[in-house]
This record gives sequence, structure tokens and C-alpha cells, in this order.
Amino acid sequence: MTLGMSAAMEIIGSFADEHLCVRGIEDLHKAQVRNLRVFYPFPSHRIEHAMGKPKSKVRLFVLIGGITGILTALAITIGTSWEWNLVAGGKPIISWPPFIIICFELMILFGGISAVTSFLVNAGLPAFESKSGYQSRFSEDRFGVVVKCDGADSARIEKIESILRNAGAEEVLREAA
Amino acid sequence: MAAALQEPTTPTFRDIDRGVLRVMDFPGMAYWIWIAFCFSLVAIAAILWTRQIYEGLGVTGLRQPVMWAIYITNFVFWVGIAHSGTLISAILYLFRTRWRTAVYRAAETMTLFAVATAGLFPMIHLGRPWFLYWLLPYPNERYLQPNFRSPLVWDAFAVSTYLTISALFLFMGLIPDVANAREHAQGWRKKFYSILALGWQGTDRQWHHFAMAYLLMAGLATPLVISVHSVVSWDFAMAQLPGWHSTIFAPYFVAGAIFSGVAMVMTLLIPMRKWLHIEDLVTPWHIDSLAKIVLLTSLVVSYSYATESFMVWYSGDKIEQMTFHMRYFGPWGWIFWVMILCNCLIPLVLFSPRIRVNMKALWIISIFVNIGMWFERFDIIAGSLTTNFNPAQWHFYTPSITEIMITVGSFAWFLGLFSLFAKFLPIVSMTELKEGIGFLRQAIRKGSSTSA
Repeated sequence: MTLGMSAAMEIIGSFADEHLCVRGIEDLHKAQVRNLRVFYPFPSHRIEHAMGKPKSKVRLFVLIGGITGILTALAITIGTSWEWNLVAGGKPIISWPPFIIICFELMILFGGISAVTSFLVNAGLPAFESKSGYQSRFSEDRFGVVVKCDGADSARIEKIESILRNAGAEEVLREAA
Repeated sequence: MAAALQEPTTPTFRDIDRGVLRVMDFPGMAYWIWIAFCFSLVAIAAILWTRQIYEGLGVTGLRQPVMWAIYITNFVFWVGIAHSGTLISAILYLFRTRWRTAVYRAAETMTLFAVATAGLFPMIHLGRPWFLYWLLPYPNERYLQPNFRSPLVWDAFAVSTYLTISALFLFMGLIPDVANAREHAQGWRKKFYSILALGWQGTDRQWHHFAMAYLLMAGLATPLVISVHSVVSWDFAMAQLPGWHSTIFAPYFVAGAIFSGVAMVMTLLIPMRKWLHIEDLVTPWHIDSLAKIVLLTSLVVSYSYATESFMVWYSGDKIEQMTFHMRYFGPWGWIFWVMILCNCLIPLVLFSPRIRVNMKALWIISIFVNIGMWFERFDIIAGSLTTNFNPAQWHFYTPSITEIMITVGSFAWFLGLFSLFAKFLPIVSMTELKEGIGFLRQAIRKGSSTSA
């Protein structure tokens, strides 16, 4: 399917194999083509490595969530012990050993909630519009490499298509962006 | 597809999708009869609980000194069942154990519903369940706060954290799979899966953050699962009652939880793989791996029983020794010996590789383990309370029909929810099977050379 020339265009290379997809990404990077989006049906360390992304920010959010959980637990346990100021079992009002258990549980709770919420926020979910270039096969058994480029630059378009085909793409399509 | 899957080189990605999505076809009449049966039992249990709330705990068999019995046994049993799901989904994920991919979703689903079932029992056990929120600290005009030195308060925090984290972990793993299901579904199901998938399309950006969040969730769930059953064991171990007050309880309970939980995974998976026609995805190799965990944890549990008994003898504590004498040879001695038979002796047959791939034998063994582990909890909880420090108080508990039917209802509630999930959501993870497709092919190759 070839559409007429427009201002912005997307070239979609569809691969049947993870290794070929990785080769396509690496060849595009070698040719200084960086504006890529890749769709794939399962988590792939090879593709992630080829894309060369920095470490996910989710780590930082989980750390902040975990520390917040510990501080919240300390505030709850110490605060309520001061408020209900009753000696029980001859123990000090602030009996810190059992408070560690509450700190631990809330660290996990807040860390876990932070992990999921920061994943959703960083991944742009929930998404109400389909990403351009997406095909349902990319959730099933195909790997899609989508390159956005200027529709007027036919030399560049042909070069990208040729890189994708040479890397082993079974299908290369053009779509208006 | 079955013919294609039996060929060692060819479970393709599409075969995996077809195999899992076929399970989610519109169910037949037998399925709805089963669901109706389960929820009818739940309705009977709900009516009896309503009566218990109205008339008070007198309708149960709870009498001094046995004020904790079947309800708390069920609570500990169901929390224990939950543990194997987190073991398989989180701990084995961190160890990159490949066989987990086919079974982890079912185990994780079991975890969520088992915790949801367990969470009901402390509530059912209360005379005035509407005051459950008193366990949580909140500003109030009486300046009255929960006692954070009490294991019951730790338990409230541990179990509610476990429920939340299990639900989030399950939901996260489901997102890519329901996105795949969305592409094949029609009508209301398409809308339902589209909402659950949150617009997931598997872009590099989405997978990048998903992989990190999933890894960290697994890292958080791993210590959580060990802490939860340790805290549950401290409900008993922190008390001074003979039979409860023991330092061995935390590791002993965690091992027992994994033992009973993996057995329950087998109880569910063995018939499920046949009825849902997923024998090609959940192979004898996967079930064999589960059986090895059951065998290992059975040995740990047996060792714990021996250590516990040794410590009682070696301590020279007469009251403790009397409690254990009653446990072995008292009126409820048969419970202890049934427990030893089910938990220590019967699982030893799993040393045989032939038994480990014989589905009928494994299913029967898993049922025995479930029975044994339920009796273990009952023996520890109600048995220890029966013969306390003061012989004048000794009283042998008899469960009432209310307690029995609520227990039956809890099994029906769990099985009903699990059955609903299995038919309407992907019960096997398609994304993880695709990620480890080489191992699945190996499993099928191994499976074809062993009898199923």
C-alpha cells in the first residue's frame, strides 16, 4: 500500500523474528535513523538493548514510594502511641521492634503502588488513542519497526525501506503520519 | 492446533495465542451449572453468617477456652494457599526459572482469590464484624488507637498489603495479554478487554517501563510473601500458650504455606489442563517441576515437625510435654496422625519420576496434602487451646453446622471466582510463553517422551 506524498510519513517494517527486528533497529541506528518506535508482542531484552534506552525512571519512584512507606509507618506507630499513651505489658510507649514490621509492610505497599502508578504514567497509560503505525499483529506474532520521516524526502524514505528489507522485514509499508 | 503443537519444533506464537484464547470461548451449560453450584453454596454460607451476626457466636461451637477454631484455621489455610502463587510468580521470576511461564498466571490468580477468601475469616470470626475498622489507626474523639505491639495489628497490615500487591501484580501481568485478547474479541468482550488493557499496544516505551516495574514488583513481593506467613505464625508464637509459643513457627509456617499452596496449584491445574484443553501449553514437564517443590517442602515440613517435637522433649517443660502428649495420643490424636500420613509419608512417593508425571496419582496426592495441611492448622490452633494451662478449663471443641457450611462456602467461593477468571481472562500468560518459546518446545519434546 503506497499513499500519496504528504508532509509527514511513517514507514512500517514488519518482522516475523525477534533477531531480524534487532538487526533492523541496529542497521537503522548505524544509518543515523533514531526516530523509531518499535512494537513487539513480549518483553524482549534484545530489542530493549538495541534501542539503547536509559534506565527506567520507575526505579526512582519505587525508591521514593518505599521511603515514604517507612516514614508513614513511623508517623502512624509513634504518633498513635503518643496519642494513646498507655503502658501495656511493661513495655516502653515507643516500642520500636514491633514498629519495624509495620515499616516493612508499608514500605512494600507504598513501593508496589508506586511501581504500578509510575509504570502507567511513564508508559503513557491509559492511552485513549491508538499509536500510529500499530497493527493488531504486533500484539500477536509480529515485530513492527515504525520510522517517522519527512514525506518529501524520497531518497531518505527509500533508504529506510531498503535497510528494513535488507534486515529481513517481510513487509514494508508507507502510511501518512 | 493440537497436532501442530505435538510437533516439537512448532508451537508458534500464533499457536500459543490460539491455545490460550480458545479457552476463553463462550462457555457451555456444564460450566454455568458448576458456577451456579459454587455460588449456591456461597449463598448458604452467607445466610448462615447473617444468622450468626444476628444471633451471636453462640451458633458456633466456640466455647471457652477454644475461642479460635475452624474460622482461624481457614484463615491460616487460605493465606498459606496464597503463598505458592507469589513463590511461582515472583520468586521464581527473579531466579529466571523457565517452567514457571505456563503455570504462573493460574498460581497468581489462585493467590489473589485465596487471600480474598482468607481475609473474610477474621471478619466472619468477629462477634461484631462492623467494628473491623477498629484494627486500623484513625483519628477519633476517644484518642483510642490500636496496639502496635499486638501481632493481630501486624496481621491486618500484612494481609491487606499482600492482597493489594497480589492484585496489582496480577493486573500488571495481565495488561499485555488482555491487549492481545482485545484484538481477537467481539462485542462486549472487546470493550471489556479494551478497558482492562488501558490502551496497551506493546511499544518499546511501554515494555521498557513495564519490564522494570514488573522486576521491582517481583523484588517487593518476594520478601512480602515470607513476611506475611511469618506474621500469621506470630499470631500464635507471640502468645504464651503451650503448643503455640515456639521460635520455629515462622520458617515452619512459610514452608507449610508453600507446600499446601503448590499442592493446591496442582489440584486446580491437573483437571483444568484437561477440561480447558491446554495440555500442550501446561505439559507434564511443568507439573513434574511443581511436584518436586511439593516433595522438597514436604521434607522441610516433616523436619519442622521433628524439630518441634524434639524441642518439647529437650526443654523438659512438663506443661508443653503434656500438650504434645495430648496432641499425639489425646482424643484428637487421629488428626495428628492423619496429618503425618498426608504431609510426611504420602508425598514421599514423589521421589519416583514415574509418579511425578502420572496426573491421576499427582492429583490424588495433592488432595491428601490439602487435607493434611488443613488438619495441621486445626491441630495447632484448636488443639493447643483445648488443653491449656488449667486442666479444669479443658474443653473439646465440636464444630457447628454454621462453621462447617461457612468453610464449605469458602471453598465454593474460591473455586467459583477462580473458574470465572479462567474462562473470561487469559489463565496462561501468552507473553511469557512467547518469551520462553524455546523452553516450551523443549517441554513438549520432553512431554512426548513421558506418559501424561
